[in-house]
Amino acid sequence: MNAYSTICPGCNFGCGLYIRENGTIDLDFRKSSPANAGKLCRFGMSLPRLYKPVKSMVEGKETTPEEAAKEAARRISASKGSVAFLSLGNTTCEEVLAFQKLAVPYLCTGANFDALPKDVYLTLSVGIPYTEIEAAKHIVLFIDPYEQYPLTVRRLLSAKKKGAKITSVWWKDLPLADENIRPADISKLQLTKDSLVISDFHPLSDAEQVKSVLSLAKNAGAKVTFLKPFANSTGAYVLSKDAKQKSFAQLVEDINKGTVKTLFCLESDPSTLIPSETLSKLTNLIIQTGHASAGTAKANVVIAHEPLYRKKGTLINNEGRGQALGGAGTNGLEALGIIAGTKFEFDSLHDAVKKALGIQAVDEFLIPKYDRPAYGAIQAAAKPPEAKTTLVSVYNPFMWFGLPDDNDFVELNLNTVRALKLLKGGTLKIKSNGSTIEKKFKVAPVQDNILLTGNRFGIEKGSITPVEISR
Amino acid sequence: MSQDSQTIKTAHQIVMQKGEMYVGWSTKEDVRKRGGSGGLVTSMLAAALEKKLVDAVVVLKKMNEFEAVPIITSDVNEVLNSAGSLHSVPSNFAKLIANRNLKVALPAKGCDVRGIIEQGKRNAINLDNTFIVGLNCGGSMHPVVTREMLEVMYKIKPEDVHGEEIEKGKLIFETKDGKEHAITIDELEEKGYGRRESCRYCTIKIPNNADIACGNWGVTGDLAGKATFVEITSEKGAKLLQNAIDAGYIQVQKPDEKGVAARSKIKGVMEGLGKKWKDKVFVPMDNRLEYFRKELENCIDCGACKAVCPTCSCGDVSKCTEFHFRGDAYRMSMYHLVRFLHLADSCIGCGQCADVCPVDIPLTRLYRRFANPVQEQLKYEPGMDMRKPPFFEAKLEV
Ligand SMILES: Cc1cc2nc3c(=O)[nH]c(=O)nc-3n(C[C@H](O)[C@H](O)[C@H](O)COP(=O)(O)OP(=O)(O)OC[C@H]3O[C@@H](n4cnc5c(N)ncnc54)[C@H](O)[C@@H]3O)c2cc1C
Ligand code: SF4
Ligand code: SF4
Ligand code: SF4
Ligand code: SF4
Repeated sequence: MNAYSTICPGCNFGCGLYIRENGTIDLDFRKSSPANAGKLCRFGMSLPRLYKPVKSMVEGKETTPEEAAKEAARRISASKGSVAFLSLGNTTCEEVLAFQKLAVPYLCTGANFDALPKDVYLTLSVGIPYTEIEAAKHIVLFIDPYEQYPLTVRRLLSAKKKGAKITSVWWKDLPLADENIRPADISKLQLTKDSLVISDFHPLSDAEQVKSVLSLAKNAGAKVTFLKPFANSTGAYVLSKDAKQKSFAQLVEDINKGTVKTLFCLESDPSTLIPSETLSKLTNLIIQTGHASAGTAKANVVIAHEPLYRKKGTLINNEGRGQALGGAGTNGLEALGIIAGTKFEFDSLHDAVKKALGIQAVDEFLIPKYDRPAYGAIQAAAKPPEAKTTLVSVYNPFMWFGLPDDNDFVELNLNTVRALKLLKGGTLKIKSNGSTIEKKFKVAPVQDNILLTGNRFGIEKGSITPVEISR
Repeated sequence: MSQDSQTIKTAHQIVMQKGEMYVGWSTKEDVRKRGGSGGLVTSMLAAALEKKLVDAVVVLKKMNEFEAVPIITSDVNEVLNSAGSLHSVPSNFAKLIANRNLKVALPAKGCDVRGIIEQGKRNAINLDNTFIVGLNCGGSMHPVVTREMLEVMYKIKPEDVHGEEIEKGKLIFETKDGKEHAITIDELEEKGYGRRESCRYCTIKIPNNADIACGNWGVTGDLAGKATFVEITSEKGAKLLQNAIDAGYIQVQKPDEKGVAARSKIKGVMEGLGKKWKDKVFVPMDNRLEYFRKELENCIDCGACKAVCPTCSCGDVSKCTEFHFRGDAYRMSMYHLVRFLHLADSCIGCGQCADVCPVDIPLTRLYRRFANPVQEQLKYEPGMDMRKPPFFEAKLEV
């Protein structure tokens, strides 16, 4: 029976766990893990479902990883000038460094740093230690921690026990909040230098919203920390700081324009982020990954390597904590080497990672020191949505990974139920851009005219979609 | 056998029988050294595997002083390497071996044994093929709490810890420089450290429900700390011990009377302490409904409390999940209500659910609020014998 000490890939919280292999995969709780004390959220508990085995394929025909990588190399060199490389931060720092060498012509980490001032790069990339959340006096949430980054909840509760006040700026009242402010009433928010602002940063973040959070914190002298959705978002961003990057928005635009024809994705499922009309414009979709996904089913070339838990390498969690994966696998690096026409040695890449972090060894109990330089004043122009009724997508690990969940419903408030005379146990019709869907609903303390969902229904236009609703 | 024979017996002289007590140790020096108190348990498990009494053994694969992962192995060396007591590894083995149809031997704290027996009643474990080596248990600690305790209370770095033991009510850590650092468990627990809450009120200290009960209580004189006290509690237990002696893995001798008496006295004291803790934690309360609602309002529906519960043998389709949909807006979820009732007669108070809850709900306390009165009234202690759960037995006559 093989047991791997590993990290949950569901978000950048960095939750430790064990994966045991014995014909099937099961998990166990790694109770000494400093980020999560072994505890896992709903997504972490679903990992055996995520890690579906994947096979190397070329145009639907099974092959070896080596042949698939060679074919990828041929296609990449044949479409020189129109190739983009995407890796969202779901893989090790060592692979990130190898990937960067390959991706010089068009590197995309999935973030939209372009739309943001340069001096906020590190503030967005590295968060603060969770113990600082627990020690804060006033915490302001621009996220729904329960849905989006669930292991944050216990840190918030611990802060609350020590006397912290929690303010939530969200469309729904949160059980742990002492004060609930709706996003449209942001002017009511009172920040001081004792406040800690918690928001998030991901490929679909609205740049104006991010700027607005940064500027609120800056003006009050408050601390700010951004949570991120991928296991190594922090590592991918920190290590790519000086690399030339294209923003995610640019990548989507370039595929639509036809200037990007071949997309190489490392441990990233583009189908969860890029609309299928856009993806279908590609001549070559190449995915190198350790588990099957909707994306691998669509890809022209699939290079299958070990799943994350069997890999050797380093992840950096949202606090900046280096975490060693417990596997021994390096065949991801081998495949990248074939594509790059070189050989990547794990040890030298690992040394480079340690050097970049300024550490001698990766120790999950120590958080290296990071620069989070002060940033200048920011002009933000976040606009509240104008439509009467909007569907708000609450991005969570299940959505980023395209993993089905028991969430086929929308949340709305009692006023809406009454106004539309909805029936208990019944459904609600939601119309957007000419398509109509019918969904179950859950009554919750949500803002008037807002529908919340943690699911993807296929009618969304970004995270905030104007809709019409009826019985 | 007579009490005066303090010499080591050879295999031919001893025929192990249920009810007998011995003091013994491993014949392998390195196992003896690493073992919690003589390495007998490890050697007995290894012998069972080598002599094909079983096909597999459950061991803790040690990661560091505060962490280990349970695995099932058929490799004798892996078993021999697993010697040692890890007080900061509050795992439970029942679910690991359930539904695998194994012929297996395993070490088991009281709560492991109880979980295994309950799984046996639910036909998820074949008890005839399961050799349960019980470990006396004064309690286990959560590793994160232990690390913090070392820094705050002992002022030592967790990385410097070399070993740890419990003696005379004190938790003693030995550091790599050879120094010992001791604080009484009472003081630690007053400050919120020490044993997990469930261990404080757990009353099974010597697992007589296992096939054989092993521990260091009752080992006296020169052997203290170097030998394991065993009590054979079933035929299977006798077979295990005999097999290990015959295979040359262990040596045993009769315990002295002082030891037997001391063991029984400590057991009594510990059980008394457990009862005291129980009264302290479960004070009567007003407005129970509001208390439960408030405690559960942060639940994120991860399902870990069900997955980890060693007495629950329902699979994916179960009452608690079938009555529950995340889109329901009940003030308290049906998942929890069904589980509280379903486990009222079966909860063994092992603390696993509280350990894994991602939002730190003190679940064991909530479950025990339901279970304590029911189990007391029905005079039923789950996992202690083969009696069927009372609610389970309420069948219609046909
Ligand atoms: C948490 C804990 C508390 C204990 N408290 C007491 C006590 O108060 N009084 C007393 O007399 N004895 C207690 N014991 C038992 C004692 O420490 C020895 O395990 C026992 O005497 C057997 O010693 P040994 O050298 O023969 O065992 P070893 O040869 O060292 O074998 C020990 C076996 O136990 C397994 N093990 C280690 N840690 C755990 C764990 N956390 N959970 C499950 N299995 C584990 C190992 O994998 C190994 O198979 C406790 C044991 C544990 C694990
Ligand atoms: S999804 Fe995030 S919060 Fe949930 S277990 Fe994984 S890392 Fe932890
Ligand atoms: S619940 Fe009881 S048997 Fe289990 S670890 Fe705690 S004290 Fe030991
Ligand atoms: S409900 Fe909790 S304490 Fe009770 S048996 Fe299950 S996991 Fe153990
Ligand atoms: S472990 Fe905690 S959060 Fe998860 S379902 Fe149980 S009570 Fe809810």
